[in-house]
Amino acid sequence: MDRFLFLTVDGLARGAVLAAFALSLVIIWRAARIVNFAQGAMAVTTTYVAFTVTSATGSYWMGLASAVAAGLLLGAVVERTVMRFVGNTSPLNSVIAGLGLLLVIQAILGMIFGNGYRAMATPFSTSPISIGGISAVSPYDLFIFACIAVIVGGLALLFTKTSLGLRLRAAAFAPDLARLLGVRSSRMLTLGWALSSAVGALAALLIIPTELGLNPHAVDTVFVYAFTVAVVGGLDSAGGAVAGGLAVGVVLSWVSGYLGATLAPIAVLVLLLAVLLLRPAGLFSMTKERTV
Amino acid sequence: MTSSKYPVLAAAVTAALALGACGSSGGGDSAAAEDVPGVTDTTVTVGTHQPLTGPAASGYSSISPATKAYFDYVNDNGGVHGRTIEYSVKDDGYNPANTQSVVRELVLQDEVFAILGGLGTPPHSSVLDFLNDNEVPDLFVASGSPTWNQPEEYPYTYGFMQDYDTESKVLATYVQEEFPDATYCLFGQDDDFGADFKTGLEAALGSDGLASSQVYSTANTDVAAQISAMQAAGCEVNFLASINGFSAQAIGTAAKLGYFPKWAASSAGGDYNTLSSYLGENTDKLLEGFISANYLPAYSDEADEWTAKFKEINEEYNPGAPFDGNTIFGMSLGYLFVEALHEAGEDPTRESLLEALESGSVKGNGHVPLGFSADSHAGYTGGMITLVSGGVQSYTGTPYAVDGDSVSAYTEERAAMPENGIPQ
Repeated sequence: MDRFLFLTVDGLARGAVLAAFALSLVIIWRAARIVNFAQGAMAVTTTYVAFTVTSATGSYWMGLASAVAAGLLLGAVVERTVMRFVGNTSPLNSVIAGLGLLLVIQAILGMIFGNGYRAMATPFSTSPISIGGISAVSPYDLFIFACIAVIVGGLALLFTKTSLGLRLRAAAFAPDLARLLGVRSSRMLTLGWALSSAVGALAALLIIPTELGLNPHAVDTVFVYAFTVAVVGGLDSAGGAVAGGLAVGVVLSWVSGYLGATLAPIAVLVLLLAVLLLRPAGLFSMTKERTV
Repeated sequence: MTSSKYPVLAAAVTAALALGACGSSGGGDSAAAEDVPGVTDTTVTVGTHQPLTGPAASGYSSISPATKAYFDYVNDNGGVHGRTIEYSVKDDGYNPANTQSVVRELVLQDEVFAILGGLGTPPHSSVLDFLNDNEVPDLFVASGSPTWNQPEEYPYTYGFMQDYDTESKVLATYVQEEFPDATYCLFGQDDDFGADFKTGLEAALGSDGLASSQVYSTANTDVAAQISAMQAAGCEVNFLASINGFSAQAIGTAAKLGYFPKWAASSAGGDYNTLSSYLGENTDKLLEGFISANYLPAYSDEADEWTAKFKEINEEYNPGAPFDGNTIFGMSLGYLFVEALHEAGEDPTRESLLEALESGSVKGNGHVPLGFSADSHAGYTGGMITLVSGGVQSYTGTPYAVDGDSVSAYTEERAAMPENGIPQ
C-alpha cells in the first residue's frame, strides 16, 4: 500500500510537469490548428536563456522571468518569420516545417552551448517531505503544482473573461470572418504563438531540473509524452491537458513500478493509440470537432 | 470537410516513430581493391563513425577530436614509417541508419584502410556484417559489448574496451573483498548492457547474489520507482550498469529519498567529471567513496607518464578541449592503432595489420593485458578499481585480470611508454 501511494504521488508530480508542457501545445493548437513539433527545441532555447541569466545574476527568479520573456519573443519571431510562410494546403506542411525548425534550433544550441549536460538548480528542495510516514511530494513538486494552477487559471480568465481572449478565439475559429468584424487576425495568431511559447518556456524550466539536466535534446522525450498528454486530454482543452498529464504521469509510474521501466513508454503509446481509436478528439474534449 | 483530426494522426505517427528508433542489418558485397585501399606512399587513411550530434553527443563527441589530436602529433613527428595518418570522422548521430550510410561512404567511396573506434553497440552492430563481408579491418570498437570478440564469425573486427562481463566480475570481486556481508543489488539498462552485466555479477556473486535487480529505460528519466524498490529491499551496495546520465539520476534520486548506499558503476557510467556535470554542486558529497573500474591511464594522475604526455598533446593539438576520461580514451585508441600500424611493417596491408594484432606484439597502454590472439579479439581483459575521494577519482590497489570466470590479481607491470609516446 505504501508503495502504491509512493508511485501514485511520484506519478502525479511527474504528470504535472507533462501537463504544463502539454498546455503549451494546446494553446498553439487552439490559436493556429498546428501541432508545433519545434515546441520542445524552442522551450530548451529559452531555458538556456534562463540558465545564462541565473548564472550571471545568481537569481533563479530573474532567470524565470527572462525565460518567459524570451518565450514570448521567440514564439512571435517563429510565427512571423517561418510559420506564416508555410502553406496550409496540407496539415503535414506545418508538421514538416516544425520538425525542420527543431533540427535547426538543436544544431544551433549545440554550436553555441555545446552538447554537454548542465545541472540546473531548483528554487526549492526536491527531497520529499514526510506526510504520515509516506514521503513522496517535495517542496519543488508543490511549486510545480502551484505554477500549473496559475497557468491554467490565467489562461481560463484570458480566454473566457477578456475581450482579447474573445478576439484570440474568434481569429482561431474563423480568421476571415473575424477579420471582417475588425479583429486583426494575423496579429492574434502571432500573439497565440507568443503565449504558447511562453508557457512552453515555463514548463521546460520546471521540467529540466527533474530530468537529466540542460542539453539541446533535454526535452525530446518529454515532448513525446506531452504530446500524448495533449491528445489524450483533447488538444482543444486546457483542463483536459492537465487531467491527461496527471493520468499519463500516474500510468508511467505504475507501469514502471509494477511491470518494469521498459514497458512504461510502450504503455503510454498504447494509451495514445486507444484514445485515438476510441475518442479521437480526446477524453476531455467537450466541443464537437470543428470544421474549419 | 472535417480535416482537423488528420494533423493529430500525422503528428501521432511522427511521435511514435520518435520513440522507436529503427535499425536494419547490414549487407552487401564488393570486390576488394587491387592495391591496398587507403594507403599511399605518404598517407594512411582511416575512418570512423561517431555521434558528433544528437542525444549521445553529450557523452562521446569529445573522443574523436582527441584521437585526431594524437594522430596530428604523430604526423608532426614523422608519422608511421614516413606516412601520415589521415583520420576521417563521420557523424552518425548514434543512429544505425546513418551509421550504415556513412560507413559505406568511407569504405566504398573514400576507400579507407580501416575503420577505427566506431562508437556504440547499436550503431556499430549495423555495419558489422558489411565491414566483414568487405574485408575491412574493423578495429577497436568503442563499446563494451562482447559482440566484437567473435573471431570465427567476424575475423576483421577487434574490441578495445573491457567488456561488460569482465568489468562486472572485477567490480564484484572488489566489492566482495571490501563489503563481504553487504546486500548487493543491480540497477541496469534494459538492453544487452544491463543483461551482460547481470550475468557477470551472478557468475561472481552466485545466482542468488543479487537481492534486487532493477531495470531502467532510457526513454523514461524518472527512476524513483526503481530506486525506492532498492531502498525497500535493503540494498547496501548497488552496482550500476547504466550510462552516465542515468548513474547520476539514480544517485540523485536516492539522495532525494534520503537513501545513501555504496555505488559500484561500470566505466560506461562511472566517469567522475561527466557525473559532476549532471549532479552539479552536490557532486562531492554524493560521489564520495564511489567505486568504478577502468583500465587506461587515469586523467587525474599527472605522475603517470602517459597522462602527462597526453595532456601535453591535448594542449597543443586540441586547444580549448577539456582533459578528461574521454581524452585519454581517444588518445589511447589512437596510440593502439599507431602501434599496430607500426608493427604491420614498412608497407602495411590489411593482412599484415591483422597479423600484427593476432601476434600479440601490440601491447597498448592499459593496466591490464589486451586479449588479442588468433582465437580472441577481446580488448582489455581486466580492470582496475577506481575510488572517488575528496573530489578526485583515482586508482586503488592492483589490477584484476579476468579469464572466463576466474578473477585474479594482475601483477605484471604495464609496458613502458616509448620515447615521446610514439612507437619506435
